[in-house]
Amino acid sequence: MSESSHLRLSLATVAVFAAMGLWLEAMFGLRLSGWVDDPLRREFLRLGHAHGALIGIANLGLSWAMSRLGTPPAWAARVRIAGIAAAVCVGLGFFGGGIWHAAHDPGPLVLIVPAGAMMFVAAVVAVAMVRPRGDDQSRPNNDS
Amino acid sequence: MTRHVTAILFGPAALWGMVATAGLAMTWADADAWGPTDRRAATAVGSDTCRRCHPDEHASWHDSYHRTMTQPAEAALAPFAGETLDYLGFRATMTRNAAGTPHVTMQRLTDDGRAGDVVLDVDVELCVGSHRYQQYVARFDRPGDRHARWRLPVAWHRGARRWIPMGAAFLTPDGREGDLDDALRHVTPYDDNCLFCHNTEPAPGLRPDGSFRPTVAELGIACEACHGPASAHVARHAGPMRRVLAGIVDAADAPEGSIAHPGKLDAGRQVDVCGRCHGQRIGRDIDRILRHGDGFLPGEVLAEVSRPILRDAVVGDGPAGQFEVRFWPDGTPRLSAYEYQAHLQTPCFDDGEGLACGDCHTMHGDEPDMQLRADYDEARVCARCHEPAELSAARARGGHGGHVGIADVDCADCHRPRITYGLVQGMRTHRISIPDPATAVGRADTPDACTQCHVDRDAAWAAAALAGDEVVASGPSRIAADLLGGDPIQRALAIDALAQPGATLDAQTRAAWLADALADDYPALRLMAWMALGAVAGDDDALAALVAAYDPLADPAAREPVAAALAERLGPGPLTADPIREMLIAGRFDREIWIGE
Repeated sequence: MSESSHLRLSLATVAVFAAMGLWLEAMFGLRLSGWVDDPLRREFLRLGHAHGALIGIANLGLSWAMSRLGTPPAWAARVRIAGIAAAVCVGLGFFGGGIWHAAHDPGPLVLIVPAGAMMFVAAVVAVAMVRPRGDDQSRPNNDS
Repeated sequence: MTRHVTAILFGPAALWGMVATAGLAMTWADADAWGPTDRRAATAVGSDTCRRCHPDEHASWHDSYHRTMTQPAEAALAPFAGETLDYLGFRATMTRNAAGTPHVTMQRLTDDGRAGDVVLDVDVELCVGSHRYQQYVARFDRPGDRHARWRLPVAWHRGARRWIPMGAAFLTPDGREGDLDDALRHVTPYDDNCLFCHNTEPAPGLRPDGSFRPTVAELGIACEACHGPASAHVARHAGPMRRVLAGIVDAADAPEGSIAHPGKLDAGRQVDVCGRCHGQRIGRDIDRILRHGDGFLPGEVLAEVSRPILRDAVVGDGPAGQFEVRFWPDGTPRLSAYEYQAHLQTPCFDDGEGLACGDCHTMHGDEPDMQLRADYDEARVCARCHEPAELSAARARGGHGGHVGIADVDCADCHRPRITYGLVQGMRTHRISIPDPATAVGRADTPDACTQCHVDRDAAWAAAALAGDEVVASGPSRIAADLLGGDPIQRALAIDALAQPGATLDAQTRAAWLADALADDYPALRLMAWMALGAVAGDDDALAALVAAYDPLADPAAREPVAAALAERLGPGPLTADPIREMLIAGRFDREIWIGE
């Protein structure tokens, strides 16, 4: 994944999950049943909205950090995929777990949240720890 | 290098994905994770365990009077700060011991009114009840008896904010002055009596020597009293895969299988859960019950372990009709301890296919007082089956008693009249019926819904009015006749009727009639009349002061002059100018009823 694609997808992710927040506010304002009367669903949809948007923003940070730190291209390409996948898995995992849920627990889609979280943590740690190769140290990573 | 990077970034997530998928598949296929479990083998886990997964339900239960049904002595509502209660020639003094534990001392009063010989001196161990009044239980020996814990002879009345003898909570006449047996009349065993309906998973633990080793899973009515022992449920839901799949698999409305959910039971089984405590029953295997408890499991058929006491019930070789006084002639219960029986006789119950307790009540709502559903509305519940416009020519004159469109009259006022006594007050019956005052005409033993509000009228007037006939003159008020000549329950319900703000007589007249009841020889009725008088007195400060000066539980020499002053202030009682008054009083037949709820 190129840096520009990563940036576009990151912004798209923020836009989608921010729009979800708008939708949640509308449901609250309209007192829609299935929303106001279902605390567990409300909680998990909010979690999906917040986590998806925040990890989308974090992807912008990852992209900026990789360009500043000169992350090797082989790492950078996969970090971008992992970062976007993390936003989708965490955001939609909470969202789906809240839409289809048991009486007191989220539904099975919530199980993709830990997978997304692992990818996100791995991506952040990788950006922080992986240093550019000797011949790459002099220039920032602008593309891969 | 590329594989190395991929493994580091995506390996953990992929591994988790495989584990989660395998876990879901195995749980889905595991027959033990779904369907019924052996709930009889389950044990109680306690409400704290339930709270981990059900915090909201736990919170609503925690605010309920079910939770506080039985509590340790430390939870006493009464001050226990040296209050005294003199009754029948004995003085009860309520204090605390050095450790702060509530303590009750009862002494015989000497001729000069001083406290003499100690007849009871005990630390309180348990508090029973917390809504209307609170009773107390202590551990002490009684000669010739192997019971260890006993109900004490005094209770704290929350509404009146005072101590009362248990004789004023139950419908029994005053005892003999100075008679210790009468003073301790209601000191009864706790471990094979109150224990059952006031605790969760109670087992009296009867031993061969006749003593008891009682156990309860939890004091008071906790989660597992209605849902059943939950260890199997907890074990099943310990795994997260089972819990996240529940939303899909259980959505098919299949019974969860490891626990009872009263709200999902059919009406018959749901009413059985409540009826276990809200309807006095006769156990099928008394010996087993006294050893291990009643054996009822919520969700199963209550009749398998007991039968409800109905009007014609007989226990063992007991006399026929031994329970008749607890029911009206048509079989409707007269006491609140028989709400289950009342509901069973309700046509709307439809033999377990119709109306259930949960249609009006919820155990997990915001309102602990009557535990009514947030969306409770009498008309809405009834309208589910009854189309208002089609109810017996409701729009016609006299149709539906002419009450259509009167805002203050709802379905319950006529179809669930206040003809049940319990806990020193009148209550609505749980037997829904169609009012038919014609059946009460000429009878002194049958109430009718109409004159329960039209307190100045009789059943003949009500029958004519309900039929839409020309209005007829009323004979002597049915409520007045009951107040003067009824049995103790009729007198109690007459007092209750006069205390209702919707009663048709003016407050002054109702107060005068209530003052008449201050001379009753049943302390519970004097207590009721005194509390009712306080409510009816309203903003009249002078009257309120006079009412406050009256002590319904004082000895006659102390209370009668105040009652006379009240009568003089309020005017004549009911039917004062009618010769029928003395006839009614002379014909009053007092029947002792040894039950308070």
